Amino acid sequence: MTPNAKRTLGHIVLYIVFILIAVIALFPILYVFLASFRTDEEIFKYAFPFTRDTILPVRWTVENYITIFRDFGFGMAVMNTSFVVLVLIPVNLLVASLAGYAFAFYNFRGKNALFAVFMISFMVPIDSVALPLYTMITKMGLVNTRWALILPSISNGLAMFLFTQFFRGIPVSLLEAARIDGANLREVFFRIVVPLSVPIFITAGLMIFVNEWNNYLWPLLVTRSPEMRTIQVSLAYFKDENETFWSLVYAAASISTIVPVLLFLPLQKYFVQGITAGGVKG
Amino acid sequence: MQSSLEKTSFQRSIAKAAPYLLLLPALAGILVFKIYPIFSAVITSFIRKGAFSLRTYEILFKDKTFWNSLMVTLRMNVVMIPLQIVVSLILALLVNSEVKGVGVFRSIYYLPVTMAIAVASVTWALMMNVNNGVFNSVLSIFGIPKQGFFTDAGQALWSIVIMATWKGCGYWMMYLLAGLKGVDVSLYESAKLDGAGFFTTLFKITLPLISRAMLFVVVANTSANFLLFAPTKLITEGGPQNSTNVLMYEVYKSAFKNGNMSRAGAITAVLLGLIIILVVLQFLMMNRKDVDA
Repeated sequence: MTPNAKRTLGHIVLYIVFILIAVIALFPILYVFLASFRTDEEIFKYAFPFTRDTILPVRWTVENYITIFRDFGFGMAVMNTSFVVLVLIPVNLLVASLAGYAFAFYNFRGKNALFAVFMISFMVPIDSVALPLYTMITKMGLVNTRWALILPSISNGLAMFLFTQFFRGIPVSLLEAARIDGANLREVFFRIVVPLSVPIFITAGLMIFVNEWNNYLWPLLVTRSPEMRTIQVSLAYFKDENETFWSLVYAAASISTIVPVLLFLPLQKYFVQGITAGGVKG
Repeated sequence: MQSSLEKTSFQRSIAKAAPYLLLLPALAGILVFKIYPIFSAVITSFIRKGAFSLRTYEILFKDKTFWNSLMVTLRMNVVMIPLQIVVSLILALLVNSEVKGVGVFRSIYYLPVTMAIAVASVTWALMMNVNNGVFNSVLSIFGIPKQGFFTDAGQALWSIVIMATWKGCGYWMMYLLAGLKGVDVSLYESAKLDGAGFFTTLFKITLPLISRAMLFVVVANTSANFLLFAPTKLITEGGPQNSTNVLMYEVYKSAFKNGNMSRAGAITAVLLGLIIILVVLQFLMMNRKDVDA
C-alpha cells in the first residue's frame, strides 16, 4: 500500500470511530425527544419486535406538551428555573470576574492562601454540603423561597478560576497605559478587560447556565410547594396516585434538554476557546 | 501641593485595599455557603443534647445499612472514576486530531453534558426498561434474552455507571482537550522520528505534559462521582436489595424521610472525609509525577 492510500484508510477508520461514538452520544437525546411526541401506549406497544416503530412515532402528537402546561403547571417550573438562571448568570459573572481580576493583576498579602480556598471550594461540589446548608437556610427562614435557590450559588469557584487564568494572559502594559491616561479601576475593568475577555465570559456564563438549569439535589431539598418547583424537580410529579405518565415526563425532559443544546451549539466555538485559553493547560 | 500629596496617600491606601474589596463578594459567598457548612456538618455530628459525644458515630458504625451503603459507594466509584477518565482521555485524543469536521464531533460529544442528570436518569430508565425498553428490544434482534438492568440487583449499579459515563465524559474531555491543545506539536513529530510508538508517546510525552489538566479532572471527577445521587433517587430508590444505595442517598433518606438529622450529618461528615482524603492523595501522587517529568 502506498503511504497515501494508508493515510486515506486511516482517515476512513477514524471517521467510522467518530460516527459510532456520535451515535452513542446522540441516541438517548433523540430517543427521548421522539418519545415526547408519542402517547404512553404507543411508546410501549411497539417495543417488540424491533422495527422502525420502536423508535419513530407512528402517530405524532403534541398533546403531551399541551398537557404538561395546561394540567401540571409546567409553565411555573420553567418560570422558576428561568428566574434563578437569569439572576445568577450576571451576578455570578460579576462576582467571579472581579475576584479573577484581583488574583490576576494584584499582589497582596494572603493571595496564595485565598486562592487555595477558592480551589478547594470548586473541587468540592455544593452537593456535599447540601445537608448543613439546608439546616442553615432553614434557620434563616428561607426554605421554599427563591432566595434559597439563589443565595448559595452567588459565588462560583470554577468561574473565578477560569477568569483568573484568562486575565493572566492579558498584558499588564495595556492596563498601565490606561492608568497613566487617567482611567480609574472601573474604567479599566469595563473598557479594557471585559472587551478582551468575551470568550471567557461566554464560557463561564454557559457553565453557570448549564449548572443552574440542570441543578437537581438542592432545589429538591429547598422547594416545598408546587409553585416553587424547578424544571428538574417537577419531573418527578407527572403522575397520579396509581401511575407515572411517562410521555409527559419525556415532554418536560425534552424542553429541559433543548434549551441548553440550542444555547451551546452556536456558542461552542467560544466555549472551547475559553477553556483552552483560560483553562487548565498542561 | 499639600492636597495633591494627601490625595496620593489616600489613593495608595485605596489601592492597597482594592484587591480585598474585589475579592470580598466571592469570598463571602464561599465562606458562608460552603466552608462554614463543611465545619458545621462535622461539628454537629459530634454534638448530642448540647454536649460533645461520639454516640452518633457509635450507632452509625454498628449499622449494617451504613456499611453496605459505604461498600456500594466504593464499588461504584472504583469502577466509574477510572472508566470515565480513560474514556474522556480517548475522546480528547480523538477530537484533538487534525481532520475535517472534527469540531462537529467535539460538539456532539459534549451534548450529553448539557442534559440534566435528572433528565438523563428518566431517559435511561425508559431505554433500559425490562419489558418494553429499546435496549432489550435491540438485544432481542441478536437473540439475547431480556435483561433486568435497573431492576436486577446484579446489574443496577453498573447500569447507573454506564449512564453516568455516557452523561459525564464530554465534560472531562473538554478539560483534557484544553491540556492537549497546549502541547507543542513538534514534540510529537520528534518522538515519531525517534521511532516512538503510540503508547510510548502517550505515556512518556502526552500524559506528563497534560498533568495539570489531568489532576484537575481526576480530583473534580472523584468528588462529583462520590456525590452522584439523582439516578438512585429517581430510578432505583436504592434498590433492588439496596444494591444502589449510595451514601448520598442514605443522607437524603435519613434527613428527609426519617428525620434523623444527626445520622445524616455523620454520614455527610464521613463522605466529606472520604472525598478530602482521596483528593489529598491524588494531589500528592500526581504532583510527584510532575517533579519526575
